Amino acid sequence: MSMTEERHPTEDLAAYALGALDESEATAVASHLETCDRCARDLAQFEDALYEAAVVGAARAETPRDLRRRIVLRHRGARAVRATDWSARLREWVARPVPLAIPVALAALLVISFAAVGTARREADTYAQALAGVADGRIVALAPQKNAPAEARGALVIPRTGDPYLVLKLSGPPTGKTWEAWVIKGQRPIAAGLSGSGGIFTIVLSAPLDAGDVVAVTLEPSAGSSAPTSDPVLAGST
Amino acid sequence: MLVERIARGDAEALGELYDRYGRVAFGMLYRMLPGPEAAEEVAQDAFHAVWRRAGSFRPERGAVRTWLLAICRNAAIDWRRTRGKRNEREVSMDSAGELLAEGKVDERVLDALAAERVRKAVAELPAEQRDVLSLAFWGGYSQSEIAARTNTPLGTVKSRVRLGMTKLRQRLVDER
Repeated sequence: MSMTEERHPTEDLAAYALGALDESEATAVASHLETCDRCARDLAQFEDALYEAAVVGAARAETPRDLRRRIVLRHRGARAVRATDWSARLREWVARPVPLAIPVALAALLVISFAAVGTARREADTYAQALAGVADGRIVALAPQKNAPAEARGALVIPRTGDPYLVLKLSGPPTGKTWEAWVIKGQRPIAAGLSGSGGIFTIVLSAPLDAGDVVAVTLEPSAGSSAPTSDPVLAGST
Repeated sequence: MLVERIARGDAEALGELYDRYGRVAFGMLYRMLPGPEAAEEVAQDAFHAVWRRAGSFRPERGAVRTWLLAICRNAAIDWRRTRGKRNEREVSMDSAGELLAEGKVDERVLDALAAERVRKAVAELPAEQRDVLSLAFWGGYSQSEIAARTNTPLGTVKSRVRLGMTKLRQRLVDER
C-alpha cells in the first residue's frame, strides 16, 4: 500500500521543507508529494515562510562580480536537458518491445512467467493479487534492458478506470538509491513515481500516460531525479 | 514564463532568474557555508541544477522563488555532507544559533516593513523552537542530528520543528 493510500505525512511536511528529515523519511514524503496536491499546497506554504525568513536572515554578502556571467556562459549553447540524449537512445531500445499490449485475460501468463523464474510462491501470489484488481484494460510488458538485474520483470497495467501502474519484480535498490518510473513523451521524460522496495511491488504512475508514450524504470538517487541519470533497466511503449 | 524559457534552453533566462533571486540565494549560501568560495561554488551548482530540472518545475505546486531556495539549500547540504570538512561543520553548528542574526540582514533585498514583520514572527517563537529551526535551516542538520548533538529526545526535536514551523507559517503566510 502506498503512503497516498495509507496516510498523509502531515506531521513531516514542516521538517521536509526545512530539509531536516532523514533520507528514508524524505524519500517517502517526496514520493507521496508526487501524487498529492493537498500536501503539496501545505508544503508550499511552509516553503513560503522559509523564503521570507531566508531573505531577512541571509548574510549581507556581495555577490561575486562575474558569477552571473559565468552561470550564463556555462549554459549558453548547451541544450536544456541532457535527458534528451537518454530518451533518444531509449526509443531505439524499445523499438520492438516484447510483447506489446496484452489483453488482461492473458495476465495469468505473465504471472506464470514471473513465478517460473525461481520466485517464491508468495511473490507470485503478490503479483497475481496486483493484477487481480484489473477488471478491464490492458497490460504492456516492459522489456528488460541491457543493464537490467537478473530476473528483472515488469508490466504496465492500464485499467479502464483509475491511474495506470507498474507491477515490478526487481531486487531492492542499493543504499542511497531508488527505483524511479518515467513516462517519456516524445523526447521529454517525466518523473512518474519512486519506490525503494525490492521483490514484487507496484508504482502508481503520477504522470499522465497517453498512447505512444514510453514507460521506463531507472535506478536514481534516493530522493529521485528530475531527469534520468542512468540507463533504464526496464522499458516499454504503450 | 522564466522557467519555461530555461527549460527550452534559454541561458539568458537563467541570468534573469539570477538577477531576481541571486542576491538572496548567495546570501543564504554564504551563511550556510564556511566561506565565499564555497558559496560561489554551490551557487553555480544550484543554478546548473535549475537548468537541468526546469522541465519538471510545476508552477501549480509552488513559486519559483521557493523552488530555487530549496534547490540551493539542498545543494549546500550536499556540499557539506560530501565536501565540507568536519571542523567547518562544527563551526557552523555554533554559528547557526540564531534564525535571524542581528546585523546580517541585507536591507537592499527587502523593504523595512517586511523585515520587521519577519523579525517579529521569529522573535515570538519560543527559544527552543527558534533554536531547532536555526540549526536545521542554517546548519543543514537533520532532526536526528540535532537530537544527538543537543542531547534532546528525537520526539521533542520533531515536535519543536513542527510547532515552530507552523507558527512561522501562520504569522508569515496565513496572516498575509
